Amino acid sequence: MLGTILGSNTLLVTVLAGAVAGGTSILYAALGEVIAERSGVINVGTEGTMLVGCLAAFVVDVETGHAWLGVLAAAFAGAGLAAVHAFMVVYRGASQLATGLALLFLALGITSLYGENYVSSNITGFLSYKVPLLGSIPVLGPMLFDHDPLVYVSYGLAPATWWFLFRSRWGLLIRTAGERPEALRAYGISPASVRSAAVMLGGAFAGVGGAQLSTALTLTWSEDMTAGRGFIAVALVIFAGWNPLRAVVGAYLFGGAIQLGAVLQVHGYQINQFVLDALPYVLTLAVLAVLERRQNQFAPEALGQNL
Amino acid sequence: MSSSSLPVDNLSGLGGRLAAARDRLTWPALRHAAIRSGWWVGVYLLALVIFGAFVLTRGVDPISMYLSMWHQTITNTYGFGQVIDKMAPFALAGLAVVVPARAGLVNIGGEGQLVIGATAAGGVSIALGTHLTGWAAIVLMALGGMAGGAAWAGIAALLKLAGNVNEAIATLLLNYVAFDVLSYLVYGPWINPAGNGQPVSKPLPSSDYLPTVASVQANIGILFAVAAAVAVILALRNTRWGFALRAVGGNREAARRAGLKVPMLLLSAMLVGGALAGLGGMVQYAGVEGQLVPGVAATFGYTGFLASWLGRHQPAKVLAAAFLLAAIAVSGNALQLSSGLPGEAVNILLGVVLLVVLAQRPRPRAA
Repeated sequence: MLGTILGSNTLLVTVLAGAVAGGTSILYAALGEVIAERSGVINVGTEGTMLVGCLAAFVVDVETGHAWLGVLAAAFAGAGLAAVHAFMVVYRGASQLATGLALLFLALGITSLYGENYVSSNITGFLSYKVPLLGSIPVLGPMLFDHDPLVYVSYGLAPATWWFLFRSRWGLLIRTAGERPEALRAYGISPASVRSAAVMLGGAFAGVGGAQLSTALTLTWSEDMTAGRGFIAVALVIFAGWNPLRAVVGAYLFGGAIQLGAVLQVHGYQINQFVLDALPYVLTLAVLAVLERRQNQFAPEALGQNL
Repeated sequence: MSSSSLPVDNLSGLGGRLAAARDRLTWPALRHAAIRSGWWVGVYLLALVIFGAFVLTRGVDPISMYLSMWHQTITNTYGFGQVIDKMAPFALAGLAVVVPARAGLVNIGGEGQLVIGATAAGGVSIALGTHLTGWAAIVLMALGGMAGGAAWAGIAALLKLAGNVNEAIATLLLNYVAFDVLSYLVYGPWINPAGNGQPVSKPLPSSDYLPTVASVQANIGILFAVAAAVAVILALRNTRWGFALRAVGGNREAARRAGLKVPMLLLSAMLVGGALAGLGGMVQYAGVEGQLVPGVAATFGYTGFLASWLGRHQPAKVLAAAFLLAAIAVSGNALQLSSGLPGEAVNILLGVVLLVVLAQRPRPRAA
């Protein structure tokens, strides 16, 4: 009896493992967005940043056969698109939301222009690697320790992001740019430079999230394959109270909601496909509605306000 | 802005406006206007140059590409008709951003509201069957579309008022849910029994399509959009409601202390916005598609959002922006035919046009 619940192929384990694997791309994007928003800049273009990351990683993997090189390319592509956002909102005073949406269109166009020849390409991508010993623990093993390398990297990245934001000098500068940019200026540091750096770093993270989606999770490239994950990541940042560690919980929760549909169908449960597809978005809204009043106190003071 | 135009706002009546017009016709003012127009031409040219650089990397000659895009949209009657057909939902989705923006709300949900509007119009059409046709059906479909769009925006408004959920995020996420609702219906209860199992709804009877104006090969949906723009201008400028919205958008706390019912005003702004987008969905359904399919009118709402910002939230300018964006969107077909590039690549141009315009620093308003 216990074996059927805790064995490696049961429904529970499959959903939990899928939640981690499927939530990782969202986690990367959400960690990046936490950094950007802590500096005071909202980037709803994260959806587009992830998308260019997906394609950049996939193309480089196809052309060179090196998946890690693809991740590097995705980080640069993400940072590059985010640099446009930074230039627009930090140096040109453009609306953060409108610029983000424009970036989404830019990303949709760029990925269809350069991605059309790669739609049916095959890659080896990242293989999952079962950690010795840890991977054999019931439930926790398949859930946490039988994944692609980018999942393992994300385990380290979330606490590292927390440390970076709350314990390092750089993090202090970023948070000050998001709370009291004028204090930073008085201190002799340009809040514009700090915000730009934070937005680009966030873009690099989102790009890597896209890489996980295309070269580790699905091993395919298709147009608009992020399907709202970037937007969910932006919503998740509020849910997480702008805290990288809490973003982990949220990302896996929504990763689980995305994976649940596929898993239930494999196991022969008849639940309407579209109800399940809507689940991550509805869940996000429900969670925000319950938590938002409390969460708002964590918002950076100058969030969304241009310099 | 030259100082001569400063008193315009304080003058009223025809005499005042004439005097203001005469004041504007001075040489410095004309030179200023010429420089300004030249500047804006340069801004839009920059967008063309940037997109040209992109297609150049795929080995396509930008000049001949732009010429064929121009020929197939502006000087070709069929293409121009398509532009007008697309302009209508784009403009309505843009107005759906304008009205909430007046109250300080960000509606990124035109996409979902438009889809639900189209879905509701399709539902009305299915419910009517052959009982009512022609104008009666069109009016009912329009009302259904507006009600659907308003209801969808209303969800976000209620989440905002009851749960304090950021309306930009809420409307954004609801877009995805809207497409799932549509898919659920056309794969399930509304599937066309004669459709060979394809996920499509029953086709709209030809008598219930929006009439087409033969000389421009476009449906009359554009008249809905123009009428809506005029209505929005009048409502925002000349009614107590429009004034109250502006007060709420300016300073919510001050508006509350002045005795305005802020929650009701926010709700009404979102509902009106949603209704406009829903009407856009109906226009697309009853004017062009005639059938519900998964992903119908995808990205129309987002394009409307771009149009609204391109037109700086001013209804007349939003109409012009919708025309420009519709022309770009339709020219994607030309891109595919003549250059062999994917039609979606024009999304780059859509994005870049807005970026170059947003990059112009807003001028300080004359007090």
